[in-house]
Amino acid sequence: MSAIQSIPTVAAFGSGQDELYQQAVQTYGAALERLARAYESDADLRRDLLQEMHVALWRSFRGFDGRCSLRTWFYRVSHNVGASHVLRQRRLRDQALVGLEELENLPDSTNALEAADRSHRLERLLNLIQRLKPMDRHVILSYLEGFDAASIAEITGLSAGNVATKIHRIKSVLARQFQQGGSGSCGK
Amino acid sequence: MWEVGNPVQELWQDQPVEGIQMSVEELRRRAGKFERTIYWRNVREYVGSLLAVGPLTYFFATTHDVLSRVSFGLFIAAMLWIVVQLHRKGSSKKLPSGVDTLTGLRFYRAELERQLEVLTSVWSWYLAPLVPGLVVYTIGQAVKVPRLRSWAALALMNLVVAAAFVGIWKMNQKAARCLQRMIEELNGAD
Repeated sequence: MSAIQSIPTVAAFGSGQDELYQQAVQTYGAALERLARAYESDADLRRDLLQEMHVALWRSFRGFDGRCSLRTWFYRVSHNVGASHVLRQRRLRDQALVGLEELENLPDSTNALEAADRSHRLERLLNLIQRLKPMDRHVILSYLEGFDAASIAEITGLSAGNVATKIHRIKSVLARQFQQGGSGSCGK
Repeated sequence: MWEVGNPVQELWQDQPVEGIQMSVEELRRRAGKFERTIYWRNVREYVGSLLAVGPLTYFFATTHDVLSRVSFGLFIAAMLWIVVQLHRKGSSKKLPSGVDTLTGLRFYRAELERQLEVLTSVWSWYLAPLVPGLVVYTIGQAVKVPRLRSWAALALMNLVVAAAFVGIWKMNQKAARCLQRMIEELNGAD
């Protein structure tokens, strides 16, 4: 299945700030919660972050000019709030963030029993995502949300080649971390 | 879009969500609260500066000793200089809405580099401006009361101030190292 449904585009431009916000949240509200989860593990802080994302989105639609799709705008604003949150929290928690390259070299810590359990697998996926630097985190989240390379390039501002390289690494990391237990194999 | 059925994508997309929503009224209230917080923070900073300058201005106006008056004048000038620098260097900029992640991360990196510069140059814009006033005040008091006990007290006061300066400098260096690590993490984002 895919989280991406309809993609409101320039047609949305011209609507009011409140309408744009409501349209975006109606379409991508679930994705917003998933993003907040990927940017903050603590439940209380995550609730604050989610509210911050909502407020940032609503405020941002005052300046929405329709030059990109509502979806692209939505993900750009949300991820920027997430990245800002990570950097703020980084000052309080002295845990170094890593890049995809470092994750590729990590030993596979998969426990077969854990791998069979869906909630543990999701928890492990979140732990993996939450260790990543903001840009790599953004790319992997976009990949998991089901975006294609062109959309990821548009949202992140990275070149298509760079996105392709990162996606290749993401697939490699996910395959290594989630390949045990049959159903956990990473589709290619 | 990637092919449907990727198990890890499914795992991610099928996770339960609470369906949290916020009404437009609530958003307006929160946005207004945020703006009021910023406004009152600025007011507090300026009032705090005035509170620091106020007593110095009083001493400047009422003292009859020339060197003391010069030292208080220098302290007032230093305080005003620090407030201006704090406002100029310390004010954070706002990321424009809807920019792509790369632009956003470059913006944050530039902000961190600016903050790093503020921390590493704390000697030049925060501590050094206070030194002339301190020197003149010390000389003035030493001339005014030329007794060994008074000089010892002045020496002790200067030692305490020097220790406070070193403490402030070390705290800023520690914060700067943290910022430097964050900047290094943001490097290579593209």
